[in-house]
Amino acid sequence: MMERIKYLAIKELIQTFRDRRRRILITISPLIQLFLFGYVAILDVNNVSTALLDLDKSQESRELARRFEGSGYFTITALPGSPEEMGHLLDRGAVLVAIQINRGFSRDIKKGVPAGLQVLVDGTDSNTALIAMGYVSTIVGIFSRDLPAPAGVTAEKAYFRTRVWYNPDLKSRNFFLPGVIALIIMLTCLMVTSMAIVREREVGTIEQLMVTPIRPLELVLAKMVPASVIGIAQMVLVTALGVLWFHVPIKGTFPFLFLCTGVYLLSVLGIGLFISTISKTQQQALMASFLFFQPAVLLSGFATPIENMPQVFQYITYASPLRYFLVIVRGVFLKGVGMEVLWPQVLALLVLGTAIFLLSAMRFKKRLA
Amino acid sequence: MGLLRIKAMAQKEWIQIRRDRLSLAMAFLLPVMLLLIYAYAITFDVNEILMVVYDQDKGSMSRELSAEFTRSDYFTLVASLDSYEQIDRYLDSDRARVALVIPVDFSKRIRTAKPTSAEVIVDGSNSNTATIALQYIAAIGEQFNRRQGLSPASPTIEVKNRVWYNPELKSRNFVIPGLIALIMSVIASVLTSLTVAREWDRGTMEQLISTPVKPVELVIGKLIPYFLIGFADTVLCVLISTFLLKVPLRGSVGLLFAVSAIFLVGGLSFGLLLSTVTKNQVLASQLGMLTSFLPSFLFSGFIFNISNMPVPLQAFTYTVSARYFVSVLKGIFLKGIGMRFMALEVALLSLYGAVVFLLACRKLRKRID
Amino acid sequence: MTDGAETAVEVRGLSRTFGTFVAVDAIDLRIRKGEIFGFLGPNGAGKSTTIRMLCGLLMPTAGSGTVGGCDILTQSESIKKRIGYMSQKFSLYDDLTVEENIAFFGGVYQVAKAKKGTRKAWVLEMAGLAEERAALTRTLAKGFKQRLALGCAILHEPPLLFLDEPTSGVDPLSRRKFWSLIRELADGGTTIFVTTHYMEEADYCDRLALIYRGRIIAEGTPTELRQRHMKREILEIETDSTIGALEVLLASGIDCAVFGSTLHCTVEDAAASDRTIRRLLDTSAITVDRMERVMPSLEDVFVTLIEVS
Repeated sequence: MMERIKYLAIKELIQTFRDRRRRILITISPLIQLFLFGYVAILDVNNVSTALLDLDKSQESRELARRFEGSGYFTITALPGSPEEMGHLLDRGAVLVAIQINRGFSRDIKKGVPAGLQVLVDGTDSNTALIAMGYVSTIVGIFSRDLPAPAGVTAEKAYFRTRVWYNPDLKSRNFFLPGVIALIIMLTCLMVTSMAIVREREVGTIEQLMVTPIRPLELVLAKMVPASVIGIAQMVLVTALGVLWFHVPIKGTFPFLFLCTGVYLLSVLGIGLFISTISKTQQQALMASFLFFQPAVLLSGFATPIENMPQVFQYITYASPLRYFLVIVRGVFLKGVGMEVLWPQVLALLVLGTAIFLLSAMRFKKRLA
Repeated sequence: MGLLRIKAMAQKEWIQIRRDRLSLAMAFLLPVMLLLIYAYAITFDVNEILMVVYDQDKGSMSRELSAEFTRSDYFTLVASLDSYEQIDRYLDSDRARVALVIPVDFSKRIRTAKPTSAEVIVDGSNSNTATIALQYIAAIGEQFNRRQGLSPASPTIEVKNRVWYNPELKSRNFVIPGLIALIMSVIASVLTSLTVAREWDRGTMEQLISTPVKPVELVIGKLIPYFLIGFADTVLCVLISTFLLKVPLRGSVGLLFAVSAIFLVGGLSFGLLLSTVTKNQVLASQLGMLTSFLPSFLFSGFIFNISNMPVPLQAFTYTVSARYFVSVLKGIFLKGIGMRFMALEVALLSLYGAVVFLLACRKLRKRID
Repeated sequence: MTDGAETAVEVRGLSRTFGTFVAVDAIDLRIRKGEIFGFLGPNGAGKSTTIRMLCGLLMPTAGSGTVGGCDILTQSESIKKRIGYMSQKFSLYDDLTVEENIAFFGGVYQVAKAKKGTRKAWVLEMAGLAEERAALTRTLAKGFKQRLALGCAILHEPPLLFLDEPTSGVDPLSRRKFWSLIRELADGGTTIFVTTHYMEEADYCDRLALIYRGRIIAEGTPTELRQRHMKREILEIETDSTIGALEVLLASGIDCAVFGSTLHCTVEDAAASDRTIRRLLDTSAITVDRMERVMPSLEDVFVTLIEVS
């Protein structure tokens, strides 16, 4: 049996790599995805275009303005002359934040009376807005602490010392890129596997193969070989580039990552097999892969945390192998943990993968008969 | 220009669409499905932050501090721990994302007006939620100080925040207008990317180009039925967004649909262009999906801020028509602004639509070579 | 732009190459108004390429000419207004009904509103689909599809009709019906250019051109072709052992081939060969049931011509 699988697998590999267009696609697509997610998918808030209206024009107000500019979070792109103008800038979308330092700012500070700062935020992008407002209060807080204290103050207030673990620079890139591995493997394996199987059926050679001693299981396993090889190769490629080019930290061990990728492949290949049983043409296989892939990715915690989704969706994600693999991948890269912490995820992947694979295999056999 | 011929083309296309029940169902189900899944799965609202507390003090003040966290809607207490090792385990295994460590003399120090601090550890893997969590933590700190009557040692600057357009900072309001643009992009391209290629594959194209029909008549004739479907899709999406998902629609509905119509013409013409140029159904559909989904998802400002991208990519986004549509949609839904502030975007969208339409007509050559 | 008195189509030196492959090599054609001109040749000879060039669907790489008075190099769109074309695949819309297909092509050819009804009725009648007008084209038998495709191509009553292998894959009865339709149209003044690889259909045409490997190897009426190119004669022999007789005759250097259950021998002098052959077969104890001289078929002509070229 191994003999037959070997020959089938070799045929599959030849077919997969002979097509020049496919060769290019296989190497280019992970690279493109990697670079896109590395450079484009950034949720960090920096250089927010800001309008500043300084009605006080005092030493203190100018210092505060300098603090905003120097923080790196805000870029003052407009100096409107009036609140109306500020409003227009927001309406037009020219700025996302507008800061108005009220007249009497410096006087109030010296008197020990609450000084006034008006901040208008474009809430359309709620994420950026929220974070931007937070930065404003942080900057203002540090500014006020640096000012000479007014007389007669007694009690000290409590404060927090915060420590950020795993991703201390809080770069969203470090969050996305390990996840890209999971994405790329899924997309490639789904497409390559399902299309490879369907192609045989489309062209008609599947009947030819079925009259030989080859058993359906052997055919299926052989079809999965190129997808697995490509998937692992892409994983290595993306990891290498992510670490070397984008400086994503990798604190965990590579062999463990390898092992988990293998277990993850089990589920993905199973899904690919399933897709091949519901498609009559390669075209349909491709469409089905894509249609499955999109929501699967969104509902996996790739971009937005699962715990923030509605309960119903959270339950659905338990059936998604992507969910577990993402935890594993982020754990390996950012947290440096291994089997001792991640064993529930690995187990879940194993169970899920086996179940999917068996179900798909059964369905495949029935289709053949 | 033969109106009669256009009418004949449009009628034929319409009959063919009507008879293809599956594709027709997909044309309406797909956007609805995508809209609902994306709307619920993509949320940047950060709540339900899982938290653990390591209270070394166990005094009244420390309990007050913990209560301050749990009282807020953002944090959920998962466990009370007794050691740093336990904290390690919880954070490593994703069972908690924030850990509050209250030192042993916390309550005493507060009562004796000495500078006091508590430690907060935050899982930074998801930098976005971590950043937001840090802000919540800072706010909670302020609240605690206020409640305990601990007056600040520094001058107060009162920051009055006003959030425009999306005052509750609901991320859904942020996501959905852009989502509609994304969905319409994909649908438009998917609808038309097959039509010409399919006629070539079946041989009816050869017959068609031997008749006196002009390329522009062919293009218009084919666009009309798909435009109707695409427009119906848009209406459907807007209805679902406003009534089911409760996204506010503050601007002019007429303007919304007018701009959508312009965008649709561009998107549909683009799909038609692909179909004409590739002459191959498989290739046309793959290219269609790729070139409509990826740019619209990544480069339209749908979720990822354009201002965060490297400058060359920012320049690239000017060529993505979805970018302008997203900005118009957000403007009409959330800002309630009118043509005055959107004239440029609308003009560019119209230009894009016209150019692609003309290209599609040019490329449709009435020859076989 | 008038139809020059008698000529409907005139091309000189028409050629088309695809890369290094020469599909059509300097063809000259002259087709008179109202005649049925047949273009015969095996698959891959260049028939479809030629017809596409004449219809303005393909640009020639060399040569010039006019179709319906319009220049094939510069006025291809005008040509399309004056012709009807039926492509090799009878390209009708499978997912449209008979009526819908007629309506569509009627609209595309801008058939005058007043005439629409009568033309539609005519096509339905001609194709025998009056009862089936609401049937999906996909469900029709090939013969019906063929006639429907023809009907759709002439809804606008064009002076010229170009048919690319209109009878391939169609049953013989339908083929005959089809050709009588063609004859009717030609009698009415339509010029018809037909390509086919069925040699027996040659006799339906007024004039023919035989094309092989991109070149015209013979041209004329069916009778002219037979007379001009067949210098030798054909003897048809029926025996009790066809293969046996074949072996014997071939061994003696006589050019013969199996033709159904008989043998066709190509000889210089039928009378003389008659005696020789009878003697040979007699010696081998093969009984000759019938031996007579027959007219060479066009297939015979064609094969001879190919061997010569």
